[in-house]
Amino acid sequence: MAPVEIQDLTKRFGSVEAVKDLSFEIEPGRVTGFLGPNGAGKSTTLRALLGLVRPTAGSATFDGRHYEQLERPGTHVGAVLEDAAFHPGRSGRNHLRVLAVTGDHPQSRVEEVLGIVGLTDAADRPAKGYSMGMRQRLAIASALLGDPQVLILDEPTNGLDPPGIAWMRDLVRGQAGEGRAVLISSHLLAEVAQSVDDVVIIAKGRLRAQGTLERVLGGDEGASTEVRAGEIERLAQALEAAGHRYERAGEALLVLGVAPEQVGELAAAQRVALRYLAPRARSLEAAFLALTADEGAPAWGTPA
Amino acid sequence: MGHAGMSTLLRAELLKLRTTRTFFALVAAALLLSLVIVVLIVLLTDNFDKQEAREIFTSDFSALFILVLGIMGLAGEWRHRTITGTILAAPERLRLLVAKVLAYGAAGALLSLIVTVAIMAVGSLLLSIEDKTTVGISDLADVLWRNLLIAALLGALGVCVGGLVRNQVVAIVAVLIVSFVVEPTLAGVAPEVAKYGPLLNAPNGIIGINPFSEDEPLDEVAAVLVMLGWIGVLFALTAQTLRRRDLV
Repeated sequence: MAPVEIQDLTKRFGSVEAVKDLSFEIEPGRVTGFLGPNGAGKSTTLRALLGLVRPTAGSATFDGRHYEQLERPGTHVGAVLEDAAFHPGRSGRNHLRVLAVTGDHPQSRVEEVLGIVGLTDAADRPAKGYSMGMRQRLAIASALLGDPQVLILDEPTNGLDPPGIAWMRDLVRGQAGEGRAVLISSHLLAEVAQSVDDVVIIAKGRLRAQGTLERVLGGDEGASTEVRAGEIERLAQALEAAGHRYERAGEALLVLGVAPEQVGELAAAQRVALRYLAPRARSLEAAFLALTADEGAPAWGTPA
Repeated sequence: MGHAGMSTLLRAELLKLRTTRTFFALVAAALLLSLVIVVLIVLLTDNFDKQEAREIFTSDFSALFILVLGIMGLAGEWRHRTITGTILAAPERLRLLVAKVLAYGAAGALLSLIVTVAIMAVGSLLLSIEDKTTVGISDLADVLWRNLLIAALLGALGVCVGGLVRNQVVAIVAVLIVSFVVEPTLAGVAPEVAKYGPLLNAPNGIIGINPFSEDEPLDEVAAVLVMLGWIGVLFALTAQTLRRRDLV
């Protein structure tokens, strides 16, 4: 049984279908990036998983159990959600003390997690005096308090400066290295690409891609080839005739799922002179845009 | 070991109360207002009969602060957007609501204890100095337990109102309107119905007074049952909405 299993999850808010028939799992010891455009249903999915939102259909479970069924949920799941908030008049230490009492965690754990996130010196200040980065660190400390086996992080690098982002990357990899399952939802694709093993991409509430980072970057077909040629149109026609898919990027073609040798042979057969031929994995951003094009939020306009 | 037990949740709620200034600020405000009013009443009134002297120490002055405390106990979670974190830590929402009702009932009683003891001490001293009718220990003790009971019930009621309305300001304004407008007006136009009002008239029944008319108030057992009935209804409504609400 997977630590986290989303099975045919559907959530409707009135007439709006936020999530539709979504299924995926996350595995222990791996970091999974959960990506999608604004309004794709990521937040709804995470909240359904955490029992904050009731699914219309399907299920979202931890080791086969719903969040509300978990004994001492803090020892199973730690979550940092995008709207993590704290009583402004309560200090960081007292916030964690309250969570420790509620979750039946030892009070010594409060000092441990304060040390992990680097908030010990500021722990007795009321939360209203915390910077955004400090509030984010407190949210992370709250998630780590129960030493959970699953970490769910929604935009965890919000408010963190570059050293903080690097720290988060190390933390995430470290947690996965200790066998925990980590699910990160983030808009910072370049950062996600450095941290994750697997990727789940959704758009308009539906699954668009799922798999290892390499597989998703290479497309369904696997690794791709970048090629530039003098007669690029003729090459493109030849590729189409051979049943290959490609993406156009200026004067270059990214031929999906085809090795450089095959592209070279095809070009030679068509007597098309090549200027550049090399294997290339797409950036996560390119893969993300390709997979979610026309599916997401209203398109951005053209910059002035 | 299953979900957080009731005692665990109760301890957490009481720790929340102790770790912000809200409770202490409300105690201070209730104490200040009550002391000022008691001092003014004692000094500006020529003399009292025994019943009037007893009524100096009844709970009217701190009741609204206790209601506000209860309202903030749950509506405050929405105001500060901490409700998500609270429910993640305590996903059994019904149990969480019960813990809050119990915690704020206890907090209300503590607030009332502090205020009542203070006004009894200051008021009795002033009455003695002014050579006016004083209240014996047994009568003071009688007022004290009634005040504490009313406070506990109002604290619990406040949580339910706060949970149902969710907007802290709207909830507080609503209880002010009910306390200062609706129930007094009803007492004038429909006194038999007004007796069952939860914020003013039923508590007056527990104390044994009816400031609005010569009619007898509800007897104390009936008054307690009425308040428990109001708490029960509001608790059920709040529990229903809390359990079904999607936290988006």
